[in-house]
Amino acid sequence: MTAIPLHFELPENLTAKKFLAKLSKKLNIQVADQQYTIKAFYDSFDWRLYNARMICEFNYSQKKSQVRLIDLNSGDVLAIESLKNVPRFYDQFPTGHLKTHLAEPLEMRALLPLCKLPYEMYCINILNKDKKTILRIQLEEYEQLTNQLHLLPLKGYDKTVKKVSGMLQKSFELKPTQASVLKEALKGHGRKPKDYQSKLDIKLMPGIEVSKASKIIYLQLLQAIKINEAGTIADIDTEFLHDFRVAVRRTRAGLSQIKYVLLATEIAQYSEFFAWLGEITSLTRDMDVYLLNYKKYKATLPVSLREDFAPLYEFLKEKQSQAQKKLAVNLNSAEYKKQLLDWEHFLKKSLPKKGKGSSDQFNIKKLSDQRIWKVYKRILQEGGSITEKSPAEALHDLRKTCKKLRYLIEFFQSLYPEEDIKTILKALKGFQAVLGDFQDYEVQEMSIKHFSEEMMENKVPPKTFLAMGVLVQYLDSMKCKARNEFSDQFVLFEQANNQRIFKKLFAHKSSVKK
Amino acid sequence: MKIIATYNIKGGVGKTSTAVNLAFIAAQNNYKTLVWDLDPQGASSYYFRVKPKIKGGSRALIFGDHELDGLIKATDFENLDLLPADFSFRNLDLVLDARKKPTQRLKKLLKPLKKEYDFIILDCPPNISLLSEAIFEASDILLSPIIPTVLSLRTLEQLKKHIKDSDLNHIQLIPFFSMADRRKKMHREIMGDLNDKHPEVLSTTIPYASDIERMGWERMPLGSYVRKSPSTEAYQELWKEILDVI
Repeated sequence: MTAIPLHFELPENLTAKKFLAKLSKKLNIQVADQQYTIKAFYDSFDWRLYNARMICEFNYSQKKSQVRLIDLNSGDVLAIESLKNVPRFYDQFPTGHLKTHLAEPLEMRALLPLCKLPYEMYCINILNKDKKTILRIQLEEYEQLTNQLHLLPLKGYDKTVKKVSGMLQKSFELKPTQASVLKEALKGHGRKPKDYQSKLDIKLMPGIEVSKASKIIYLQLLQAIKINEAGTIADIDTEFLHDFRVAVRRTRAGLSQIKYVLLATEIAQYSEFFAWLGEITSLTRDMDVYLLNYKKYKATLPVSLREDFAPLYEFLKEKQSQAQKKLAVNLNSAEYKKQLLDWEHFLKKSLPKKGKGSSDQFNIKKLSDQRIWKVYKRILQEGGSITEKSPAEALHDLRKTCKKLRYLIEFFQSLYPEEDIKTILKALKGFQAVLGDFQDYEVQEMSIKHFSEEMMENKVPPKTFLAMGVLVQYLDSMKCKARNEFSDQFVLFEQANNQRIFKKLFAHKSSVKK
Repeated sequence: MKIIATYNIKGGVGKTSTAVNLAFIAAQNNYKTLVWDLDPQGASSYYFRVKPKIKGGSRALIFGDHELDGLIKATDFENLDLLPADFSFRNLDLVLDARKKPTQRLKKLLKPLKKEYDFIILDCPPNISLLSEAIFEASDILLSPIIPTVLSLRTLEQLKKHIKDSDLNHIQLIPFFSMADRRKKMHREIMGDLNDKHPEVLSTTIPYASDIERMGWERMPLGSYVRKSPSTEAYQELWKEILDVI
């Protein structure tokens, strides 16, 4: 059964008043409200709601204001709530359906305004003989867009919806349209949905020269740094800094892995700058992670100790705030701006045709094959030599090598069949997860110990230290668990099928030497 | 999700106006709320201007395999739905009696609605019958309006004893005074004398008021035609107190 159209566009010459006059001749209608209203669209910076097929609208007038969550596919209203303003994070919403719908896609990301549209809103009730509302109509009269009409069905009155929808199409010749004017509204602001994604999407042609390809990669990473810079400085949510740091790390990996393009002096200069960027953002990110994990940490404690844990939260908040201030000073500094601008100019002028090893005698595909194959073999060798007695450093080194491989695959994935890349990325992610857990638990365990030393000076109650001790114990047990899982995960990663794909994709008889 | 039954063995104590007005307040506070009109008189259906009729009547409801969801009607108020009454509900006891495990039936029927609603309010007919047994099984809370008279307090004692004797340990009984007339000496005395004998009775009292009586004329919940009055405030207070104790 095809769905009944619920959303319509009014012809250009049909004003709301004219339409209502015509409608009142056919149905028992009541104009319940007419208001000058602003429609503001909200989503996270990386379009998490849109990616989860949802649109968040905040409609506000002098009389009322409502947040509405709409299913992008069906146009159904998933949740609606009267709120005076839109909270920034999902956990600041009142308990209810709206909060429940927002929690999973948004996680730690802030809900930000995308664009606004003014319109005249007419709320119309269709009444039966008992003057009971059996269908609601929302008519939106825009100055910049064609007028829209939405049928808002009421539970238990399906026949009315079908009848009115049919009548609007036949007698009024209205055209069915989309549930929301989001796309049109964005267009007016020169934007479109999903115009920022934190995932890398680099399109390379196999035959292009290494210099050109590296320029495409570096420019995209620079773009990510610049896009996330303001949100990082303003500390809107933790993901701006996270994406900023990922772009910095990827650039550093590029500088060390894509050879034969830049001169050694240039590599040294820019590597130093990006290493500095990594360094000045590191403490804030660490504190963000501790604060994001706080609820999880608290849940690991016995109930009797949970209330005593609060001073740690205050300590972390304070430390994050101090680190964030320093970070903002650094990212607002003339030195940072100059260095980044230098890098941009460097990328925008034509890159040297001949670097250290005359790169253009081979194309990007050859270089990619060679680099990925080499790093992959190194992982097999490093991973294979790790035993139960190996020190933690061996696992940390392997984790770094895996990161290099991940970045290389992400840079060059457009050069290879999508399915194969998906398979090996999935395997690599699983392997990286266990190495990441091991590293994270170890670092966190050490940090909590350091924090307790610093907190000693703040007259923190002894029970807080007891709670932190329990947490350290938990982190240690989780670290051991990750360590024990290592060999199983390595076996999974080095399994024959993955080796076969790596070999098929990257192990050519390359003439390129190291 | 909580299932609240507005119940009293006696009739005419304000069960329906309690169910309708509290449901309205809950919905206004963004709680998704359903009122199930189980009384064959269909008074709450009338207040919401919904025809007191369900497809197949009580027999289809108890023996049929269709779910309650298909019988629900939206009211004129956001977040507030109604499952209408049907005149055949006068035989609900007999129909239930013909079924296996009759007292479990309402609970089973309501189960799929748990995800959709925050509160389900059952507007119950008076008397203790097989239907009320099924209501007790399904409910978390028995919200019992009592008129401050000696007889009403006696029925409250009967209800408490019944809950205890039937091992209905899952039920929280919440009585409160309804239709209280402070001009009547007896009402004042009974309410004043309350704390020692019945500490479980809520402190909020719903007054006997003409604006509540007007619900039948207006055919809508009190709060939708009276913006502010002692009655609307009493219902608001009652709702707050209920939220505090549940």
